[in-house]
Amino acid sequence: MNWIAANIIPLQATVTTFLLALSFQFPMRLGLFSLAGVGLFGVGAYSSGIAFAKFHWDTWSSVAFGVVVAALVGLLLGLVVARLGGLYLAMATIAFDMIVVVLAGNLTPLTGGYMGLFGIAGKVELWHLGIIAVIVAVLFALSERGGMSRRIEAVHDDAALASSQGINVSAYRLTAFLVSGAVAGLGGALMLMVRNTTTPDAYGFGLIVVALTVAIVGGTKSWIGALIGTIIFTWLPVFLTVVGEWREVVYGVIVVLAALFFPTGIWGSILGVRKRLAERKHAGQRDVVDEMATEPDAAETEFLQTVAGKDSEQ
Amino acid sequence: MIQSIMNAAVLGSIYLLFSMGMSLAWGTVGILNFAHGAIFMFSSFAVYLITSMTALPAILCVIIAALVGAILSVLMQTLVYGVIRKRSTDHHAAERNVIIGGIGLAAILIGFASHATKSGSFGFATTDQNPVLEFAGIRITAVSLTIFVVAIAISIALAMWIRRSRGGLALRTVGVDAETAKLMGINESRLAIGTMAFAGLLAGLAGGLLTIHLVAINPTTGDGLLLKAFAAIILGGVGSVLGVVIGSFVLAFVETFMILGGVGGWASAVAFAIIFLVLIIRPRGLFGRAEVRRT
Amino acid sequence: MTASMTGEPAVLETRDVAVHYGGIKAVDGVSISLGGNRIFGVLGPNGSGKTTLLAAITRLTKLTRGDLVFDGVSYATAKPHQVARRGIARTFQTVRLLADRTVYDNIALGTDVPPKGTKRTSKERRDAIDEAIGRTGTATVLKRYPAELSYGSQRRVEIARALASRPRVLLLDEPTAGMNQHEREEVAALMSKLRDEGLTQLLIEHDVQMMVDTCDYLYAMNFGRLIGEGAPASVVQDPDVREAYLGKNWDKNHA
Repeated sequence: MNWIAANIIPLQATVTTFLLALSFQFPMRLGLFSLAGVGLFGVGAYSSGIAFAKFHWDTWSSVAFGVVVAALVGLLLGLVVARLGGLYLAMATIAFDMIVVVLAGNLTPLTGGYMGLFGIAGKVELWHLGIIAVIVAVLFALSERGGMSRRIEAVHDDAALASSQGINVSAYRLTAFLVSGAVAGLGGALMLMVRNTTTPDAYGFGLIVVALTVAIVGGTKSWIGALIGTIIFTWLPVFLTVVGEWREVVYGVIVVLAALFFPTGIWGSILGVRKRLAERKHAGQRDVVDEMATEPDAAETEFLQTVAGKDSEQ
Repeated sequence: MIQSIMNAAVLGSIYLLFSMGMSLAWGTVGILNFAHGAIFMFSSFAVYLITSMTALPAILCVIIAALVGAILSVLMQTLVYGVIRKRSTDHHAAERNVIIGGIGLAAILIGFASHATKSGSFGFATTDQNPVLEFAGIRITAVSLTIFVVAIAISIALAMWIRRSRGGLALRTVGVDAETAKLMGINESRLAIGTMAFAGLLAGLAGGLLTIHLVAINPTTGDGLLLKAFAAIILGGVGSVLGVVIGSFVLAFVETFMILGGVGGWASAVAFAIIFLVLIIRPRGLFGRAEVRRT
Repeated sequence: MTASMTGEPAVLETRDVAVHYGGIKAVDGVSISLGGNRIFGVLGPNGSGKTTLLAAITRLTKLTRGDLVFDGVSYATAKPHQVARRGIARTFQTVRLLADRTVYDNIALGTDVPPKGTKRTSKERRDAIDEAIGRTGTATVLKRYPAELSYGSQRRVEIARALASRPRVLLLDEPTAGMNQHEREEVAALMSKLRDEGLTQLLIEHDVQMMVDTCDYLYAMNFGRLIGEGAPASVVQDPDVREAYLGKNWDKNHA
């Protein structure tokens, strides 16, 4: 288990970054270009830190406090910005993130100002993080099955269509902000507990850029994309120690290549291949493509198939 | 007091020069270039490399920076942004990937510069001085005055060009409805390259002038300005020349006077508060178009 | 209130509905009454307000005045998603299917949110889906993706999705736009079959011939108002309706 001890930091970062990535992925899955996850990550960290250091709560109560506060802040934010679309939502949430940084830096009696919080010696082990990551992944996976995943996809693809099917689009969007807050808050709180210190500028533009690339390069359709992105960006620097000084340049090249060649993310590209294979299989089946009879009478259907099958193919 | 106003005006001009190109590209051809700050910085870095071999007059430094900026921007558009947009089937995916692409490009440029300067600051070896001019009790450096004059001159020229010329009309058309523009024979790809070239030129120009003004900048200076640009553009309204002018100066004045008033720690929050409030109350800003496309 | 022409109680009614935007009166006092398992149509040239009327009925736009009534209960202030939950299903001008989902999944979307006040077991849901598949003849393409189908077939899938929710009323917004003659006839035949099986439908279309052939009762609109209503054959003879947009060619081609 020497390897684990030697790599404890990236292992911890894998979990906390995964949670942060999910806080970006989930709203994007619903079609909301929200970058608020970073600010909420910070809100989670600071609230749990304040609970631990000032209220003297124990580790897990503090973490839970961080989750709840971040979730509520996320919800409030959602109420205010949810009707913004596309880039404007992105801008507003970036602004929110930066405001969190300024508040953390200026509310000194509470947050320790620009020096930040320290001495938050939470008792969080690696296996705690592992279990939490698995539970969260399972919850997200459940939301990607059956009716729920169809409804979420409808909200993403076509809000008017979703409404026409009885889906309450605004409720779904607000829930996305709530979930984003909860999972980001969890990540931030856990990160503070294992790192023991934090400063306001940890949650600034730099982290926004990291989280955004992790989520989008991995693929926003599923939690699996968030995991893929997390693993790539957490472990690549570790394995490419040779890259060391040029890390930022290599990172930049990877990101540009991803934007060019994996427009739906790595996971999205994998899904795309799967879909194309299925379509090719269908085209290979030389039966009816789309000549469908109105009366599902077997004999008539077959007759129509043979007669019209050839010229109805596109 | 007058001195403070002058300082705020110079700060506003810097924001204006930096944001103008970004606003133009964003509001017309729809490219939100997250590498705009990196272009600003790298153009200046290129001049630093040149002048570390041989000192040059200030004007030449600025011109070279502007040209480098234009070239970088055109490369980005043809190799990355243009390709992303051509390949994309859906508008939102294209937007996201252009942003991601920009982030990557910025990282590459910042990475190179950081590596070369060991993340330290760099400046130009110029053959000129930067004299301090004094009139009516106000002190202002020659470069500061230049920045102010250049910013205003370019704004006026750009506003007139957009309103009066055919190119300007084409640009405005693309900004309102890209598909119809194409049907009307406007070559969007060439327009995009031209617009990005000009935006890059402005970024490089701003970089050159600011480096001389501040004596030195560092590899991350551009990114810091990026957020200010967002604030100025959103306040003024995306795509409006007058908007970005007003936005830049309002931002600069509020920041300057907050620092004067002793609440400097919160000054950096001004930009973000502006963005947030404007988007909630009036998303299109002061002079922007009401968003035609519903998201 | 009775459904126009059938004397049966109305399922869906608009009462003096008006939608004004700024100075424009897109819809200005329209009252229609649907029910009795008939096919109703709204005829009108571009700009007559029929699309806005549909938007009003589905609560995608605010009413300036008037009321919307379903089964005798007003729903004029309901949210758009609540319209579907009452049992009003609709199709859109361009076919809107989820591109990355199979045909089966797309149809199943129609059962994901059960009508207000009911809970559906998964067996009931599967039955509704199967029934919708059967009624629209889409059984052979369930595993395909929408892009693999012809436009006419995609439209069928969309109608199947609408049927899966077991609606009381089906609104069809220009369902045959962009179709060839054969596909149009298919849609018309499907609508007639659904009516015979018991479903009230409202059709908004440009193809006047199709409207006349398919609908049991026609409303004609122009400039936001009703300018005629009744049996299709008599509505198209009405001089006001003719003048509005049928033009002189109508007699020559369709008498």
